Amino acid sequence: MSSIRWPYPNVAGIVRNIASIAPRTRAAAASRVKNWARKRQGVDPDHIQLTAGRTYILPTGVGFIYGLMSFAMLLGSMNYNNNLSFVLTFFLIGLGFVAMHQCQRNIVCLEVSFAGVEPVFAGQAAQFRIAVTNHSKNPRFRIRLYVDATVSDIHDLEPGESQVFVIPVASDRRGWVRLERFGIRTLFPFELFRSWAWLHMDIRGLIYPKPLEVVAEPPATQIALGHRQHDARGEEDFAGLRRFIVGDSPRNVAWKAYARSGQLLSKQFAGADTSSQWFDFNAFDGDDVEVRLSTLARWIVDADRTREDYGLKMPGEDIPPSHGEAHRHRCLEALALFGLGDDRG
Amino acid sequence: MAKARGTDGSLLSSLPWTLASLALALLPHILFLPAWITAAFLGCGIWRYLIEQRRAALPSAWLRAPLALLCFLGVYFVYGTISGVGPGSALLAIMASLKLLEARKRRDQFVLLFIAIFLVMAALLREQYLWSLPYLLAALLFITTAWIRISAKPSESVHRSFATGARLLLYAAPLAIAMWVFFPRIATPFWAIPIDMSSGVSGLGDTMSPGDISSLSLSNAVAFRVRFESAVPAPRERYWRGLVMHHFNGRTWSGSDPSVGLRAARQVEVRGEPVKYQVTMEPTHQQWVYALDMPYRWTLERTFMGRQQELARVFPIDQRIAYEIESYTDYRAEAQLNRFANAAYVALPEGSNPRTVELAQQMRSAAGSDGAYIDALLAKFHNEEFYYTLQPPPLGSNPVDRFLFESQRGFCEHYASAFGVMMRAVDIPARIVLGYQGGELNPVGDYMIVRQSDAHAWVEVWFEGRGWVRVDPTAAVAPERIELGIASSLFDGIGMEWGLAAPSLLLHQLQLSWDALNAGWNDWVLGYGPDKQNDFMRMLGMDDPSWRKMMLTLVTMVIGLILLVSAGLTIRYRPPVRDRAAILYQRFVRKTGIDIGIGEAPDAFASRVGDASRCGANTINDITDTYLEARYGSTDPAALQRLEEQVGTMR
Repeated sequence: MSSIRWPYPNVAGIVRNIASIAPRTRAAAASRVKNWARKRQGVDPDHIQLTAGRTYILPTGVGFIYGLMSFAMLLGSMNYNNNLSFVLTFFLIGLGFVAMHQCQRNIVCLEVSFAGVEPVFAGQAAQFRIAVTNHSKNPRFRIRLYVDATVSDIHDLEPGESQVFVIPVASDRRGWVRLERFGIRTLFPFELFRSWAWLHMDIRGLIYPKPLEVVAEPPATQIALGHRQHDARGEEDFAGLRRFIVGDSPRNVAWKAYARSGQLLSKQFAGADTSSQWFDFNAFDGDDVEVRLSTLARWIVDADRTREDYGLKMPGEDIPPSHGEAHRHRCLEALALFGLGDDRG
Repeated sequence: MAKARGTDGSLLSSLPWTLASLALALLPHILFLPAWITAAFLGCGIWRYLIEQRRAALPSAWLRAPLALLCFLGVYFVYGTISGVGPGSALLAIMASLKLLEARKRRDQFVLLFIAIFLVMAALLREQYLWSLPYLLAALLFITTAWIRISAKPSESVHRSFATGARLLLYAAPLAIAMWVFFPRIATPFWAIPIDMSSGVSGLGDTMSPGDISSLSLSNAVAFRVRFESAVPAPRERYWRGLVMHHFNGRTWSGSDPSVGLRAARQVEVRGEPVKYQVTMEPTHQQWVYALDMPYRWTLERTFMGRQQELARVFPIDQRIAYEIESYTDYRAEAQLNRFANAAYVALPEGSNPRTVELAQQMRSAAGSDGAYIDALLAKFHNEEFYYTLQPPPLGSNPVDRFLFESQRGFCEHYASAFGVMMRAVDIPARIVLGYQGGELNPVGDYMIVRQSDAHAWVEVWFEGRGWVRVDPTAAVAPERIELGIASSLFDGIGMEWGLAAPSLLLHQLQLSWDALNAGWNDWVLGYGPDKQNDFMRMLGMDDPSWRKMMLTLVTMVIGLILLVSAGLTIRYRPPVRDRAAILYQRFVRKTGIDIGIGEAPDAFASRVGDASRCGANTINDITDTYLEARYGSTDPAALQRLEEQVGTMR
């Protein structure tokens, strides 16, 4: 049996080969198309109105099936010479054409603008906020933003309405994370076509170094600089509430306020500092730069949480001891951008 | 496993519309489908809706699979086949029901809507009435609404989904109409699939056994409509030829054979002026094509004249068709008969109806000639106690003997059959023609309606040199149709107008108007075939229409209309033009030499710029105030004027 050679080509094998090539080819083609669009459109400003010229459209899977169905119905109508089924068929074909144009028009003339991104620690996803505004007199339906497979929520935009779409972008490393390309797309009205536009804004979010999980206490050699504003009892005066930011201690969250409003707020205290200390980048021996940065980040986060004054000594830059959100950001930013040779945006 | 089947109520906003679309698509099929299929669909629909409402789990595959098998076997058991409109629509209904039970995702409903579209198409293939167009538009409205709701956010109002769907349909309408008018029609089908035979169209049978029928039910249904181009023939000439039977077994006439196709000119010689007319025939699912006695030229494709001058199409008439015909009332068919044919046309089964044969031979020898014999026979029917009735008694064996000597009651078939046998008994070739006689002129639409109740049978007798001559023995009896009620008696009357029998003249007028509307619909919408399309293209000024020209026009028109739709959408969706004040303010910002931030308010900008600008804080503040006044304050045009001047003079 085994000596008999199958005289025909191995069809199944060929099909399998083609199938295995297909995804790679598709990915390659897709990236080529994207690069072409990037070259063609150039870098977009942070604030742009979508034009028809940069809006692309292709049928979806459902659209293909719809096309096949319409064609089958056309053949059937011709075969039976049935004028009413011609009416039905031509209505469906006409509806397909109309849906195509409606789908593209659904995103053309929308105004897209960058609405900021909150700094996060490495390992967390940077939440890029993009505002989309409908200036026309007609509602826009089922709009969604996306980056590759990551998608935002879907929103309808009434005339004059503006919606903020959030695109999460994962980041493993400190520094800047860029959102080089994102898309805006819609399947409205019948999901027969997908219309989309690519945007290439020069936008980036700051990623702080990830604070080390377990770390030694900050060296005790730090000098208190006398920033103490209150008596030694460490009595803390409640100074107000601010929006919760990642890294805040759960102990300081105003849970009562959260129960009332559903918004996470952190309690702020004045005069909470009992001591001031310097965190010095050069005070480590032998440690890798990233470990040093992560350790410093941990100390800063902890110090901020306990409302101590702290200063940061980096090569070439000293940040004098202080406290508060702006100070925390300044210190963490210095860590994030250390050695990257990048400007501070 | 159970989790994967759970529902979360996310289909609640669209499911009712999907179900309504399916129900509407199924509605015209209900009469033709076995009741259990409709019940299965309704059951599955309600069940599925309750599942979604209670966020329950879908039935498991262990339940669905046997159910599916059972249903498909059921369809096969009922129809014995799965092709054709009947079984096809049954299968679609079953598929929809079963798909409902496993539709969990939003997008699963697309499949259901596709099934609904196919069901609507099947309904249109089965029947095309005047209301079919509004029905189809209503179905499309439901389907598009459901479609929009499938992908809309759950809180969207029904009104808005409906309006969106209706608007898109409205945009599609001109495209659909253009394609409908210009898409080239072809005359012959690619393949034949049986359209449902159970739609209950009455027509003529292929055989005739007068003794077996004790009651003839007359249907007022339209058999065909005729529009004459030449003069309308006199009532006595209105014999619409159908099929011709030559074989008689003592009880039953049969033997019309449409399989041998010849050209009319080889069998028939014609004289005089032709009657030109157009027939729109209702589907019969038979091959016979009705035409005024004797058809000579016709436009219907693949239609031939049989060996006995019956007109037949190669494939059955499953759809309403229209054809143009020329007939000659003065003709000579088959002047010569060969020996074998002659023998076939005088054949009678040995020993059947002996008294009839004996009577025939007596009368023939008494008459002296064939012509005198025929006259004597017609006179006998006219003068003796023969009655015309639609409820004749059943006749046992030797039905012709029983009819002539005992019952003497019958309708056209009885008289035709008896007359044919009397001819054959004395070796005169004779055959029976089944068709229609009469027709009512509808003054509303200026055409003639021939109804099923006009069905008629008559005899053709052959004479050497003269060919086949039409003889209608019923005509001899007709004046004495006294046993009948006046209303029904007139149905089969010779040259009598059906209108006299109508219960009320006004009602009859309404019926005629309605029929005229239907006829126009049939002519111009349903019957818009290759010929009509050619005529219409000529009317539009296209000379020598060909499918290439029509396709070119079609493509041009469709592209033009799409551009129009696109332009309309562009206008609808463009952002408002920025007003003059904003443009002036922008010029002002440029002149300050300082960039304004995105979303920076004019006040904030003014205080930021302040003295930094060359022109000083006062000018900046003045212009900002004027701008705010012009843009957001009063509608006073003076503010805009002032802004114009201030920005103009600013340095």
